[in-house]
Amino acid sequence: MPIQLSNLSKNYGQGAVVADVNLEIPSGELTALLGPSGSGKTTVLKMIGGIEKPTTGRIVIEGRDVTDVDARYRDIGYCFQAYAPFRHMSVAKNVGFGLSVRGTAKKEIRQRVGELLELVRLSDKANRYPAQLSGGERQRMALARALAIEPQVLLLDEPFGALDAVVRSELRSWLKELHQRLHVTTILVTHDQEEAMDLAETLVVMHQGRIEQVGRPLEVYDQPVNSFVQSFLGPTTLFDGVTIRPHDLVVSPSGPDVVTNIDDLGFEIRIAVTRASGEQTWVQLSRPEFLDTKIASGDAVSVSRR
Amino acid sequence: MKARVAIRLTVAVYLLVLVGLPVGFLLIHTWAGGASAVWRSISSPDAVHAVMLTLETAAVVVPLNTLVGIGASLLIARRRGPWVRVLDVLVDIPVAVSPVIIGVSLVLAYSRIGWFGTALANWGLRVIFSPVGIVLASLAVTLPYVVRSTVPLLREVGTDQEWAARTLGAGPWRILWRVTLPSVKWGVTYGAVLAFLRTLGEFGAVLIVSGNVTGSTQTLPIYIFDSWDQNFDFLGSFAGALELALIAVVVMVILSALQRRERKLHAHSAL
Repeated sequence: MPIQLSNLSKNYGQGAVVADVNLEIPSGELTALLGPSGSGKTTVLKMIGGIEKPTTGRIVIEGRDVTDVDARYRDIGYCFQAYAPFRHMSVAKNVGFGLSVRGTAKKEIRQRVGELLELVRLSDKANRYPAQLSGGERQRMALARALAIEPQVLLLDEPFGALDAVVRSELRSWLKELHQRLHVTTILVTHDQEEAMDLAETLVVMHQGRIEQVGRPLEVYDQPVNSFVQSFLGPTTLFDGVTIRPHDLVVSPSGPDVVTNIDDLGFEIRIAVTRASGEQTWVQLSRPEFLDTKIASGDAVSVSRR
Repeated sequence: MKARVAIRLTVAVYLLVLVGLPVGFLLIHTWAGGASAVWRSISSPDAVHAVMLTLETAAVVVPLNTLVGIGASLLIARRRGPWVRVLDVLVDIPVAVSPVIIGVSLVLAYSRIGWFGTALANWGLRVIFSPVGIVLASLAVTLPYVVRSTVPLLREVGTDQEWAARTLGAGPWRILWRVTLPSVKWGVTYGAVLAFLRTLGEFGAVLIVSGNVTGSTQTLPIYIFDSWDQNFDFLGSFAGALELALIAVVVMVILSALQRRERKLHAHSAL
């Protein structure tokens, strides 16, 4: 049985932050709630976790209606955006907190904490304090702490939001691997479409408190239901009046169109073109493709679909 | 560079004029008659009684106001509503008004001319002109300290850690003991130390409610004032003042040592 959200809404004052959300989240999968800030995705996560009370609607986790169940008894692992480490406890004590609350024997806690620290590769930091860890280490500690209670659902709020680019991509592939190993039902909130595309098995695109589209990442990417979803999942441009992905266009030397600008971003090259019809469009090429075309700003070219 | 020297010089002169010279003269004058005279003065029954009464008052006031202060801080920082704002303002009244006013109000409320005085006297409880009044006055003037040093910390720490503990299965008491209080313990400690020092030194409110009965309701500051103003026992006043200052200094040194130890333990964590 999956997680079911039915007619879920949250109002603060007059404004609805989440409006009538209906969603079924499959068990054992990693689902991403993707949307810009203010789209209500974090509020949905907090309602599932029991941190926010829904104004209306029901939440059912694995067949159990938890709408009125305190966060304490929901059996969820929640990772906060800023990790919320217990600052005055060592890494080992942080990870073991949930177990000691449950009255688990000391010896067993020590063993479980040892296993979890190994899982998140923090065995050598067991006696450190959170202030002595890097951002990525703190994130992994928070994950181990949430996993310690063997939750039915793992909820991650912007797990990589506060990390620099290198640590971010490292941690991302690590999390992917971890999920493939554990298969805990996981819901991840993010505003980063690339992160969501990479990690999620199911993608839920949110906008202004509503769900715009639900589906497999590639399905959503290739068949967006509206222009919001299309533009949020990746860059778009106009070609013959139709909205299209700029990587679906190619440029070839000589023709009626004119290159007006070239942005070189390293691997990715963006070529702005004014077409004979006056239409402004742009083409996204990889570096090898771009080097093959040998075009420069001001050149006459022709743009076509791949 | 010149600016820095000027700033340091200003600070040094300022401290010398306000703290260094007065304390220096206090030391010189106290010791002028020799150590034995000082000892005789501070070991006189009235002096000893004053010290003991002051410390006993603090022993009741500090724990009580620490508990009440923690409770009020939690309400102010974690709850919303009009009555919370009222509480927030009420807590500050004791530092906003002169202690004399607090003393007078306590007398009005609890002496025989007040509403409860007669009833309390019939119960055999004398509030005004007794140690009970001294404790009440000290409680009133020291109420804000723990609250004012704890509320900003509670707000800064935020509620994420408390929620994290809750999702991990912790109940309200465990969250309070293992998460909330440890994360604000230095705010609470600092407030409690300030409350202790204020209790030691409180003069105005205590003078009015105590009735200033030598050997009975005289706290150390009042003993100092009395020696000076009524008995012309200047040595008694100096020695008492030195004793009061010494207790305060010892407490400050202990606090700073504890903080240093904690900082070492949690290298570069924010305290």
